[in-house]
Amino acid sequence: MQTSHSEIMTRVRGFVQENFLYMHSNFQLADDDRLLDKGVIDSMSIVEMISFIEREFGVSAMEEEISDANFGSLAGIARFVTEKQSALAA
Amino acid sequence: MCGIAGIVRRHPTGVSVEALGKMAASIRHRGPDGYGFYVGQRVGFAHVRLSIVDIARGAQPLTNEDGQVVVTYNGEIYNHPELRRELEEKGHVFRTRCDTEVLVHGYEEWGVNLLDRLNGQFAFAIYDRNTETVFIARDRFGVRPLFYAQRRGAFYFGSEIKAILASGEVEASLDRRGLDETFTFWAPRPPRTAFAGIASLEPGTYGILKDGALWLRRYYELDYPEDGEEPVDVIEQLDEIMLRSVGIRMRADVPVGAYISGGLDSSITASLAASASPHALRSFSITFDDPRFDESGFQREVATDIGSIHAIAAITQGSISASFPDVLRHTETPLVRTAPVPMYHLAKLTRDSGIKVVLTGEGADELFLGYDLFKEVSVRRFCLRQPTSLGRQRLLDRLYPELMAQGRGGEFWRRFFLESGAPSDPLFSHLPRFLLSARAKEFYSPEFKSGLGEIDVLGELRASLPARYFGWSSLNQAAYLEMTTLLSPYLLSSQGDRMAMAHGVEGRFPFLDHRLFEFAAALPTGSRLRGLREKEILRRWASRILPPRVRERRKQPYRAPDAPSFFGPHAPDWVGDHLTSDALRRVGVFSPTSVDGLVRRCRAGLATGFRENQAIVGVLSTQLLHHQFIERVSSPPALPVRGASVMLSEATPAFT
Repeated sequence: MQTSHSEIMTRVRGFVQENFLYMHSNFQLADDDRLLDKGVIDSMSIVEMISFIEREFGVSAMEEEISDANFGSLAGIARFVTEKQSALAA
Repeated sequence: MCGIAGIVRRHPTGVSVEALGKMAASIRHRGPDGYGFYVGQRVGFAHVRLSIVDIARGAQPLTNEDGQVVVTYNGEIYNHPELRRELEEKGHVFRTRCDTEVLVHGYEEWGVNLLDRLNGQFAFAIYDRNTETVFIARDRFGVRPLFYAQRRGAFYFGSEIKAILASGEVEASLDRRGLDETFTFWAPRPPRTAFAGIASLEPGTYGILKDGALWLRRYYELDYPEDGEEPVDVIEQLDEIMLRSVGIRMRADVPVGAYISGGLDSSITASLAASASPHALRSFSITFDDPRFDESGFQREVATDIGSIHAIAAITQGSISASFPDVLRHTETPLVRTAPVPMYHLAKLTRDSGIKVVLTGEGADELFLGYDLFKEVSVRRFCLRQPTSLGRQRLLDRLYPELMAQGRGGEFWRRFFLESGAPSDPLFSHLPRFLLSARAKEFYSPEFKSGLGEIDVLGELRASLPARYFGWSSLNQAAYLEMTTLLSPYLLSSQGDRMAMAHGVEGRFPFLDHRLFEFAAALPTGSRLRGLREKEILRRWASRILPPRVRERRKQPYRAPDAPSFFGPHAPDWVGDHLTSDALRRVGVFSPTSVDGLVRRCRAGLATGFRENQAIVGVLSTQLLHHQFIERVSSPPALPVRGASVMLSEATPAFT
């Protein structure tokens, strides 16, 4: 089932805040902020993020797709999930 | 190996034997075989003894013939027979076979220059009544601990901080900078400790205390005068030094055993110990119920190869959490990993098996560039010379196959390494580790964070580097940082001396013979790390004593389960007690809200990364440390004078 872009963004943001930003109550995260540069995720939490989107949105990420373009920002993740869902629906 | 403590007053107002008795009682685990005191008007020394050499006559404190030089000493001087012969030739008369007496006569003969002649692991205090000075010193690499504090004109020292606190004259509070260093380097950087106003004497340093003033001087500096090529007879030289280093460390009047980890270094020390031992060697190792940490198959193989009588300490997650409070009482500093706990159990097994001296492989990774960190720095530099080369970056994936197997490789992993500092930064080699460790600081309370102000522990480390550091190769710079920030303050302390001595076991480290260090430091780095093959020359030499499957095995880094040990069905009550908002606010270091989130993720089994594992161990250990040393201070009763093996005073100066 196709999830709207804004819905994906909301759920991913909620996941990030609950799991990677819970120790930073005032952290402002913009859609295009670089997650690695901002210290939001590290090489370990990316594994958790991928498991989340696979579980939550029914898409899977191949090794070559685990890139900064696809997982480097909230906007990038939402775009990646949208494209994957569209491809599955086609 | 023993424990020492003492009080030095500026004026002759007296030192109470009661205070010394309490200090000795607090470190009795270091020396369960006997104790003694020297009590004077200005100086009082205490000693608890683990008898290993000259069991009948080696009690301390010990004096020279006229009682003017008094020593309390913890350690081993391995070349004491040679020094003794030299001193006897100069007319000194010895009354024991003990290495302690070499210190007394050596000091009389050479003064502080005695230190240059010692080959061993030691910390001691010598009171020279002729000059009214106290001379304290610690071995070159910081194997044996020595802490001190100065309060109201008096000087206090001890093998452990608890001895200083037990005097009843030194108050305890946590040191902000010491904690911040712990959450960067894994331990406070000497002379700093986790306690405000209590210092650790730096390795290779001595101090002279006179008229209430302490004057410190380093007598041994790490240096890396790297040669362009290997000496022609390099293997023969290494062979001679290794055999001598192990040989002198087998000197004892009790059986010497060995730890076996399953890797190259302890296989070498255990194998040489087995050859040199007059008895069947007793060996000991750790196994884990979690197969990710377990190396028992390799350990058994080594034990079979060398023919040792092998015993195993089986570690479970439950045993880690159950003994963690005891471990903290001994480390006296917060931890970011549970790795010391299995070493605590290993020492207990060793002592219960009747062995109180063991040889281990510590130091080989630092001398012969064995850690993955050394490969990492080479690969990072190689990648950064052509930052767009994906082929070069893939080399990073090969460094940590265990993590790759958990799906932790790829672009993000590589970026972490490539963006952790510029090659021009003097801390380039260690920045990935330092920055990763520092993520535990994200859990600090706002008050603690603001109290740190402008403290910049990385900047302070950069500023402390000696001028010669900037002339060394990047690998030797990395080796120096590893020796100074991790080996002595953490590995030899929290995982070494403190865990072994908690059960009265003495660790001996053949790779930390200064002759071996100087030999290794002068080799071309390519002899130690050739491409991605670590400890190359050691492996070449080890073909003489170890089979290929042991020699060539890639050992996994030593680790123990962290967060999972404290949550789940085996979690002890103290875990929850120390994580309540009230308890966290009382200590003030960590934010209750942040720790709530952390605990939620730990309970759900989601805390799988370094940041959260280090953070939960850091939080729990800081809470425990505060609880045990500041909130509920409890000292054992003073050791009574009537039970002392030695009771010396100014009035009874004669040698006993």
